[in-house]
Amino acid sequence: MDQRLTRRGFLRLGLGAAAGGAGILLAPHTRDRLARRAEAASVLAQGASLRYHLAGTDGWISLPSASSSTYHPDGLAPAGLSTYMFGFADVTGLDAAQIQAMKNKCQAPAPLMYFDEGQGALVRLTNLGLAQRPDLTDAHTIHWHGFRNVIPMFDGEPSSSVSVPIGRSLDYYYRPREPGTYMFHCHVEDTEHVHMGMTGIVFVRPAQNGGAPGIPPGRYVFNDGVPPGDPRSTAYDREFAVLLTEVWNEAHWDDAHIQLPEWSDYRPDFFLLNGRVYPDTILPHGTPPGRPDLAYQPYSSLIRANAGERVLLRFANLGFLKQTMVLDGIRLRVVGKDAVLLRGRDGSDLSYQTSTISIGPGESVDAIFVAPEVVSGEATYLLYNRNLVGLSNNGEPGLGGQLTEVRIAPAGTLPPQSAPNQ
Amino acid sequence: MRPGTPGPLIRGLATFVAFVALLAAVRGAAAQSLAVPPNGIVCTTSADDSFALTATDGYISLPDGNSVYMWSFASGTGPFQHPGPVICVDQGDTVTITLSNTLSQPVSLIFPGQSDVLANGVPSQPQFSGATLTSLAPAAPTGGSVTYQFVANEPGTYLYESGTNPGVQVQMGLFGAIVVRPAGHPDWVYADASTAFDPAHEYLMLLSEIDPYLHMALERGQSYDMGQYRPRYFLINGRSFPDTIAPNGAAWLPDQPYGALAHIYPYDPVTNPLPALVRYVGVGSADFPFHPHGNHSRVVGRDGRPLRGDGGEDLSYEKFSLPIGPGQTWDVTFSWHDAENFSPSNPIPVTVPNQQNLFAGAYWSGSPYLGGTGTLPVGGEGYNQCGEYYHVAHNHALTQITSWGLTMSGMMTYTRIDPPEPNSCP
Repeated sequence: MDQRLTRRGFLRLGLGAAAGGAGILLAPHTRDRLARRAEAASVLAQGASLRYHLAGTDGWISLPSASSSTYHPDGLAPAGLSTYMFGFADVTGLDAAQIQAMKNKCQAPAPLMYFDEGQGALVRLTNLGLAQRPDLTDAHTIHWHGFRNVIPMFDGEPSSSVSVPIGRSLDYYYRPREPGTYMFHCHVEDTEHVHMGMTGIVFVRPAQNGGAPGIPPGRYVFNDGVPPGDPRSTAYDREFAVLLTEVWNEAHWDDAHIQLPEWSDYRPDFFLLNGRVYPDTILPHGTPPGRPDLAYQPYSSLIRANAGERVLLRFANLGFLKQTMVLDGIRLRVVGKDAVLLRGRDGSDLSYQTSTISIGPGESVDAIFVAPEVVSGEATYLLYNRNLVGLSNNGEPGLGGQLTEVRIAPAGTLPPQSAPNQ
Repeated sequence: MRPGTPGPLIRGLATFVAFVALLAAVRGAAAQSLAVPPNGIVCTTSADDSFALTATDGYISLPDGNSVYMWSFASGTGPFQHPGPVICVDQGDTVTITLSNTLSQPVSLIFPGQSDVLANGVPSQPQFSGATLTSLAPAAPTGGSVTYQFVANEPGTYLYESGTNPGVQVQMGLFGAIVVRPAGHPDWVYADASTAFDPAHEYLMLLSEIDPYLHMALERGQSYDMGQYRPRYFLINGRSFPDTIAPNGAAWLPDQPYGALAHIYPYDPVTNPLPALVRYVGVGSADFPFHPHGNHSRVVGRDGRPLRGDGGEDLSYEKFSLPIGPGQTWDVTFSWHDAENFSPSNPIPVTVPNQQNLFAGAYWSGSPYLGGTGTLPVGGEGYNQCGEYYHVAHNHALTQITSWGLTMSGMMTYTRIDPPEPNSCP
C-alpha cells in the first residue's frame, strides 16, 4: 500500500484520539517527503514549482522537567507532553483531508527549508486554525527574515501586506539571489507567534555548487570565488542547521488558558536547539525509539563527522535574548553573518577564527570547523551556550538546554551526508 | 488580532489621517521653505556652532494611552522636548554647548567619542568629592550652567548624555544625538567617497527604553532601587509605534518632535543611485537587535569612525540584524531594489486569492505591484495612498515591540517606498 494512504488512514484513525488530546503517535517528520515534493512540483505550472507546503496551527511538545508548577507541565497537555505551541506542520504533498488532519499537530521548529540560488520556487501556507483556542482567529504568514528586496506581497509582515485567515491558503514566491543562512517565522502578532514556536531555518545554496572556472562542483556556503584549498574557501563536507529558541512557560501556558502574558516580564525557562533541550538534542531525528513524546520535535542536533572533514554550522537565533554558543576544543571559522560572506567590497577577508559564536535575536552565523583527528573510537566535543543559564532545564540542577554533542569518527567511517543535519 | 488591543489601530488611524493632512500641508507650504520636513533627520544648527541646552522636565505620550514624566534637554529657552535637539555640525567646527539646569539634581554633559572636551574653559574631567566619584564631568547645579567646548574632529554619529547620576538621569531621558559631517561633503557619512548617500534621505533612529516605575518615583520625589530596573516602553526618537511613523513635529505629539518613518524610492542607477543613510544610536541598557525588512543594511561606520582598516581595507559589511548596543552608534546605508520588476505585464507567478480569502494589512495597497492599487475591504484602514510599498523595521527582541502590555507597538517603524517619480503620490 502507498505510504501516503497508510498515513492518511492512520491520520483519520488518529483524529478521535487527537480530539481527546492523546494524538501524539503521528510523527510530522515524514520519510517520503522528497517523493511527495517531486509530485507536488508537477502540480504547478507557470515555471515556479511548489517546494514546500506548510500549515500553521497549534500543538504540544515535550520539555523535560523533574518538578511541576502552575505553568509546567501544562495541565491541559496531552499525556506525555508539556508545552502548548503554535507552529508549522509539513503538509507538502498531502491532500486536503490529510492536511486538515494536521490541525493541532505543529512541529517545533518548523520544517527546515532550503533553496538553490536563482531558482524561483513557491511555498504554500495553509492556516488550519488553533484547536486549543477556537476563540482565537489569528491569521498566519511566512516572513523570510533577511530576504533581500522582497516585495510586501511575499514579506509576510501583515500590516504592509496580506495574511492568511483560517481555512485559507496563500503561495509565497521566492527567487533567492543571495546564498547563506536565513530564518523564517510567522509575522502575525509577532511577539506571540514567534515565541509560541512559528520559527524555522531556511538557507540558500550558492550557484558555485555547480562549479565555476577553477572551482570544482561541490558544497560551498557562498560564491567565494576561490578553490577549495584556499584559506578563504567556504567549502564543506557536512552541514548542520541549528536554530536557537526559548520557551517561557508562563507565556505558553497563558495562550492555552486564554490569558495574556506581560511580555516585558519575559524570563525564559527553557533554551532550545532545533526545538529540543539537552539531552533530547542528541537523540535521533524523527520520533526516537521509546520517545513518542518527541513526535513533534523531529530534529536532532547531534553533529557527526569524520576526522578531517569540514563541517558547516548554520546558526540562527529566533529567541528574544542574545546567546553565545561555544565549541570546546575545536576552532570555528566564522565565514558568514546574516547570509553575507565575510569579505569587504574590496575583497578583504573578514572571516575570523573563534570558539564562541555570539548571536543576537534575528541574526545568523555560518561557521566552519575542521573535524580533528581521533586517536581511537569516537571523540566527543560539546557545543553549548556559554550563557550558562541557558544550560538549565526549567531552572533545575544538571545540564540541559542549549547543549549538544559533536562526535568525530575516524576518517571514512560515516558515509557522505545525504541531507542537511543527517 | 486579539481582543483588548485595539489601541494601535485607532491610534494608527489618527496618526495616518494627520500624517496625510500634514504631508499635504507641507507640500503646499513648500514655497515658504518650512524648516522641518515631514520625515527625515531634523537638525538643529547654529551659524557659530554654539548651542544652548536646558535640562528640564515634562511629559511624553505613549500609545497605550499613558503619559510618562521625563527629564530631557530643551533647545535654549524652547519648550520641553524629548529627546534633546539633534546637534549637527561640520568636521573641524569648534562646538560650544551651554548647559542650563532647571532640575532638582546637578546635571552634566558628556560627549562619548569626542576628544579634548573643555568645561568652562578647562579640560572636562571626572569629578570627585574626596575619594568619591560624583560625576563623569563638571555639572551644573540646580539653576546653574556649564559651558562645554570641543572641536568636532571626526565625522560620524555621536551621543550626548548626562554624566551625573547617569544610571538614573540617562534613563530619565537626558540624552540626544550629535551629527558631524565631513568637511565639504554633507553627502558623505565620513571623509570617504564610499560612504556617499542621498542627503534627501537621511534618518536618525535613537533607540531608548523606559521603566515607568523609575519615572514615577522621580516624579514623586521618591527614591528608586535600580536593582528593580525593568524597561516596559521601547522608543525610537522618543516615540513608540505607531507614533514613530507620525511626521516630524506632529501637532498631537507636541513634546516628541521627531518621527522615524523612512521614506525612499527604489534604487535606480540613473535617477536614484545613492542609498539612504540611517544613523542608529543605542541609549538603552542592552543590545537592541534592530531588523529593517526589505533589504540588508550596509554598516559603513561605528561610533564615529569609518569601517576602514589601517591599510585602507574596506571593512564595511552588510547585515539584516543590527545589534545596536548601549552607547553605540551605527551608520548604515540602505536602499531597496525592485529585483524582479513585477508589474501587471510581468505578473507574480502566484494567483492572489480573492480579498475575502485574505486579511489585508492597514498599509496594503490591494495590489502586489509598486504603484498599483486594488480593491480593499470595505471598512478597512486603507492607509495606502498611491500604491507605495511599506516595510517594517523593528527590534527583533520581540518583547520590545510592546508598550507595557500593548502588542505591536514599541521599537518599531516603517520604511515607505514610493513608486519612481512621476507618481500619483500626494
